[in-house]
Amino acid sequence: MPRNVAIVGTGQTKYTTARNEETYEELIHQAARIALEDAELTLKDIDAVVISQAPEALFGIDHPERWVVGAAGAIGKPVMRVHTGGATGGSAAQAGFFHVASGLFDTVLVVGAEKQGDTPDAQLVLNRIMEPRYELPFGLNAISMTSFQAVRHMHKYGTTQEQLALVAVRSRRNALNNPYAHIRANHTVADVMKSRMLCWPLKLLDCPPRSSGSCAIVMASEERAKGMGKPVAWVRGVGATSTTYYMGDKLSGLPFNEHGDWDELALAAQHAYKQAGITKPGDEIHVAEIYAPFTICEVAAKEALGFCEKGQACPLEEKGWWDIDGHLPTNPSGGALASNPIAVTGLARVAEAALQVMGKAGQRQVDGAGTAVATAIGGTLQFHTVMVVSNRL
Amino acid sequence: MTRRVAIVGIAQTRLETEKPDQILDEVIFEAASKALADAGIGREEVDSITIAAADQIDGRPISSMLEACPAGAYLKDEIKTTEEGSYAAILASLRIMSGVFDSALVVSWSKCSEVPVTRVSNYGAEPFFHRPFGLNYITTTGFMVNAYRAKYGLPEMAAAKVVVKNRGNALNNPLACYQTPVSTEEVLSSRIVAWPVRAMDMAPLCDGACALVLASEERARGMVQPPVWIQGMGWATETYYLGERDLSRLTSLEVAARRAYAMAGVTNPLRELDVAEIHDIADYHELMAYEALGLCPWGQAARLMEEGVTEMGGRLPVNPSGGALSGSPFFATGLVRLAEAALQVRGDAGRRQVKGAKRALAHGSYGFCGQGNSVFILGE
Amino acid sequence: MAEELVFIPGRWDITYNYAAGKVSSKFFAELRDNKRLMGIKCSRCGRVMMPPRGFCERCFAPAGEWVEVGPEGTIQAFTITVEKFEGNPDPPFAVAYVQLDGADTAMLNYVRGLDFSDLNRAAESLRVGTRVRVVYKEQRAGEVTDFEYELV
Repeated sequence: MPRNVAIVGTGQTKYTTARNEETYEELIHQAARIALEDAELTLKDIDAVVISQAPEALFGIDHPERWVVGAAGAIGKPVMRVHTGGATGGSAAQAGFFHVASGLFDTVLVVGAEKQGDTPDAQLVLNRIMEPRYELPFGLNAISMTSFQAVRHMHKYGTTQEQLALVAVRSRRNALNNPYAHIRANHTVADVMKSRMLCWPLKLLDCPPRSSGSCAIVMASEERAKGMGKPVAWVRGVGATSTTYYMGDKLSGLPFNEHGDWDELALAAQHAYKQAGITKPGDEIHVAEIYAPFTICEVAAKEALGFCEKGQACPLEEKGWWDIDGHLPTNPSGGALASNPIAVTGLARVAEAALQVMGKAGQRQVDGAGTAVATAIGGTLQFHTVMVVSNRL
Repeated sequence: MTRRVAIVGIAQTRLETEKPDQILDEVIFEAASKALADAGIGREEVDSITIAAADQIDGRPISSMLEACPAGAYLKDEIKTTEEGSYAAILASLRIMSGVFDSALVVSWSKCSEVPVTRVSNYGAEPFFHRPFGLNYITTTGFMVNAYRAKYGLPEMAAAKVVVKNRGNALNNPLACYQTPVSTEEVLSSRIVAWPVRAMDMAPLCDGACALVLASEERARGMVQPPVWIQGMGWATETYYLGERDLSRLTSLEVAARRAYAMAGVTNPLRELDVAEIHDIADYHELMAYEALGLCPWGQAARLMEEGVTEMGGRLPVNPSGGALSGSPFFATGLVRLAEAALQVRGDAGRRQVKGAKRALAHGSYGFCGQGNSVFILGE
Repeated sequence: MAEELVFIPGRWDITYNYAAGKVSSKFFAELRDNKRLMGIKCSRCGRVMMPPRGFCERCFAPAGEWVEVGPEGTIQAFTITVEKFEGNPDPPFAVAYVQLDGADTAMLNYVRGLDFSDLNRAAESLRVGTRVRVVYKEQRAGEVTDFEYELV
């Protein structure tokens, strides 16, 4: 059995379009320092560091993790960067977990920063991720590739644009309670519907902002965590699944072959739930932080996570099921629709889930949140990570 | 107690100056398939995939979008690190040691023929204080050698002998990119690229991929290959700021080695190791690694080389494969070193086999002036 | 004194020469010279992959025989890009994943000849299940854009 691991500290900095007052290096340092203070630890207590860094082309420094070794307090220490595209933050948290669970380290810092405010060409970078022989010339980017998912979900389940808009409305309303969030707004469905079309059927307000900012968590072994005498978030389960790049291979409607469904996320969740002993996720999980940069992604994710039947996430949304006072609040932080610092969006989901089960989520706290799940998504909606955290072992 | 991890499958593609007949995906698929075949298992029998790759070297942001599945990741738990090839083996080992997984396919690659590596390397210099000055992994080697030279004198002949040794060893390695011998005269008359570093001091880049299958102790039992145990593993990184480092020594390698030795119970590496595969980004890196690894006192690497200790037939042969100086698939080179060390312990190194090798060291390195380093100790 | 924030201009300029490899090279030659779209079969599961690749990542087996596919097919997913993005063609333009007859997977390309004056009507004309045919360009360079789709 794995050694027990807890999240004992979190640190986030304000997410906004451009953080022009700090360099990438300084953003890393800020989040690391806040997380260490939150954990009531000093740099000396950190045995190893994991850097959460998605495509560096978003701000134009190759292997930036090499630059920030000092900023992350890692000089002379084992350092490892993890990069799984959008899923990077989720993968980095898992890498941190594996560092401690391996028995080689007692306390590990996971930290990352996003500086995409430094380029106006984020969607150009996200066009160049495409296959160069067959798919590069078609003007694809993160928005259009997700539009394919929306088209498939609408085709299969009759999902409407108005239903998707509800996800955006709830997320940014929740963000009003999150001081770190980038877009905090009381939008209406009409606001979303009349926002300009980018890639049909996704409109501006179905999409995330381009955010910069940083995030860190501190993870510790059971022995170390218990000695701290304060609430911690125990990692109860981890899972990840990758699937094909080729979206054209996943358009058959069959299991694991449907771009509109996230059966791969379901598989990752099954692994995590099994470790955590969760059999009825819709009831046993009290709050979810889902990496859903686009409205449709949250819909597909909730159905894959077993929170409801396929095709039911939107009808339940209309009943307030996912609201902060609903049956299963999702993204009380506002999620990626409110802030999307790509390198750490997944890590922020883990940090927010941890804050919820520690009872430290402030105005966005969900009452009675004992168990939370955090997810991340990357690539052509092809990399999925799931982490279950709980206030008890 | 942590779980023990074994290497149970080993494969490399042939290293070549270019591979125009294969796209990168196919090079990766070849290595991954061969590693599974070597381990005698199918892809369905592996429960985790760990890869190491670099976006700008692969020619795309998030290159794992296309390269994860050729490495075996379809519907598997896959994760990617970006330090250098050997770090995939580190992360895969941690994943197995945690008890969550029992096996791992580990893959790394580079297709240097398709990309201007030195330009990409320059983009690794941050734009404020370093990038305008033509820094890359070759020009910064000049800093390192000059710092070493100021302290201990320039071991130019010893460095040339490293090239001659490694290129000579490559004659026994059918996978090596360059299988032709060179002389010290050729090395010492090759053009200077970043004073005092000459063209032939640097490892020539090439195309290739490497893959390993790792397994927990329980899983390794009963597999077709005798397990090669990862007895020790250490990695460490120095500050990025070259102006704050002692460039005359590979400090993070020293730290990494200390950790790996402690874990493996090695106290006298020169006596207790039978063979080493060192990441010779340049011949000078190999020399300086001798010192950081504790094979000789600081400043004595040239003498160790002159005495032939690291030659085939010496007390501790280094790079019987020919090392990176006989062809470096840039990002994957550290994993190739680990694969070669594992072949030595398994007794499967063919004509480059060090007789009776029971314990081997493998070294991976990246960054300007060897900023980050990994060390593995392998044993029967 | 107001604090000044400095911005250092930067640009990445990296040239790549992506070797297309044997399999894609054949696909592009057939497209250019013979106006044929060739898929490739997995040697194990037999699925016909479009676009063709050297191996099946699911079976972890090499690709086998070539199969001509099309010239018609069915839209499985689409989008209409309306916003101008850096490096993209000028909007609006429609792209679709089309499962060509005889293929088991869908391949991306532009859908031409659409009227975008009413977006929702244009989207309706592309809905999943719509039939399209392949149109080859007069001048072909051996690239994926040598063909496109149009509504049947």
